[in-house]
Amino acid sequence: MRDAFFRALARLGAADERVWALTGDLGVGLFEPFEAAAPGRYLNVGIAEQTLVGVAAGLAYAGKVPFAYSIAPFVTSRAHDQVRVDVACAGANVKLVGVGSGVSYGTLGPTHHAIDDLALTRVLPGMTVLAPGDPAEAERAAHAAAVHEGPVYLRLGKNGEPALLPPDVDFRIGRALELRGGPDVTIACTGTALREATAAVDLLAQEGVDATLLHFGTVKPFDAEALIAAAARTGAVVTVEEHSTVAGFGSAAAEVLAESGAGAVLRRVGLPDTFAHAVGSRDYLVDRYGLSGPAVADAARGLLERSPACPTT
Amino acid sequence: MSTSAELRLEADAARRIVLEAALASGSCHIGSSLSIVDILTVLYQRTLRAGEGDRFLLSKGHAASALYAVLARAGVLGEGDVIAGYCRDGGTYAGHPERHVPGVELTAGSLGHGVAVALGRALADRADGRDARTFCLVGDGELDEGSVWEAVALAGHLAPPGLRLIVDANGFQGLGRVGEVLSLEPLGEKFRAFGWVVSEVDGHSHAALACALGAPARRPVAIVARTVKGHGVPALEGEFMSHYRSFRPHERAILFAGLDRIEEAA
Repeated sequence: MRDAFFRALARLGAADERVWALTGDLGVGLFEPFEAAAPGRYLNVGIAEQTLVGVAAGLAYAGKVPFAYSIAPFVTSRAHDQVRVDVACAGANVKLVGVGSGVSYGTLGPTHHAIDDLALTRVLPGMTVLAPGDPAEAERAAHAAAVHEGPVYLRLGKNGEPALLPPDVDFRIGRALELRGGPDVTIACTGTALREATAAVDLLAQEGVDATLLHFGTVKPFDAEALIAAAARTGAVVTVEEHSTVAGFGSAAAEVLAESGAGAVLRRVGLPDTFAHAVGSRDYLVDRYGLSGPAVADAARGLLERSPACPTT
Repeated sequence: MSTSAELRLEADAARRIVLEAALASGSCHIGSSLSIVDILTVLYQRTLRAGEGDRFLLSKGHAASALYAVLARAGVLGEGDVIAGYCRDGGTYAGHPERHVPGVELTAGSLGHGVAVALGRALADRADGRDARTFCLVGDGELDEGSVWEAVALAGHLAPPGLRLIVDANGFQGLGRVGEVLSLEPLGEKFRAFGWVVSEVDGHSHAALACALGAPARRPVAIVARTVKGHGVPALEGEFMSHYRSFRPHERAILFAGLDRIEEAA
């Protein structure tokens, strides 16, 4: 996903001289194609995330379209006051790019895990939050971010994510993709959790459970219409995110469902309000903290057992 | 009328707007605004070249009323609007400035943000071949923020020619004298060490300010302006509580005593 983003970034830099690429001293070997395509518009500010975001805002006020890149917690949490004031409050046309969604950085530990980046960005008024599910969608999301006028946070995985989405599908900010349309249960996912959600839907299908699979490449603005329609049809929703279950994607879904009157039952799968202190790879941690495909399928089964809201007499 | 007399009258007029707005709204931060009125008056009346794209970013946002006042004197805002709309229910001018207000280049209030943003603007100017200057003003207490020094270091390294930083060294911060809370002196030496050109001036001397602010340079310049908090109001000058104190209409004479004194002298 990261390499796919950098391919898109180089193309954007070649096509639009307003596009700049900034980094907080991360991304070894990744910016060279951009530098070649957009000479003079690459800037490494050093290990200084507040300056990364502040300088990006200054460039945006001057009419540039800066992409500010770092590891996800560093660009969203470490520099949050700059993101809040210089970017969101001021409505700056800055594109924040965080690599390493969820527990992608695995063994590097909780400082490098992005379990709160969706929460920190989606709470900000005017912020658009994108979380693509596979490499091709990351490229399309980067293009959409560049075209969109206003603050964007683009959440990337790392590398090695499988291609999971149909190759010909458009990326539209604010639109979820319905990948399966089954009547039994809705699995709604965002970002890199698309992998686990897809695995869960496949497992359920083997048991004769025909699920709806909704993928949200955009967390904000939230595609409430798509979720409410699926919830009304299936009566049960499982959200899946590589993020804390607090204040992220599942919470956004809960807010929408609670006010919708759709009457669906909901289960949120994500990191259960904990840092991932265990040591291990991304896949190990996903399994250890209950976000794996089988765990998502379990959550769906649990809802299926209790979801029929039939009268008892 | 001599140019220095003109500037004196301009600064007094701006001070009067600051005080009228403070009195009308019953708001605080008067001393913080008064310490930069002379700086901003010289900047807006003499230094900024609108045709070249010069701009000013107020990083110590709590001195917003001084910015509104000089913008009003420059004809960007209406004087009556500023006085009536500052820190009032339904007003236009918040106690900390926002970019959607005409003439305001930085949304400020959370300290330590301005230098990085000003650096971004100065880098854009250099990249686009514009001969514009970006002035940013920080308070000396604001220099406690680590983000200031991140940006100061990077600015010294990248050295965009149009960047100008003004330090309003009024010697006070939230809970006391800067020298007692967290002394960062010698300030000039610190900026020099980061590769900046430095000048130190009396922040109430219009002639000294005009010279320092307008001095040509091909790299970032830090102008350390030694100022008096509450300048122009005898009851507030050099007073720690001038940051917090607000005034009611019956105290009008206290606020304006200094201006009357100046007018009599002129």
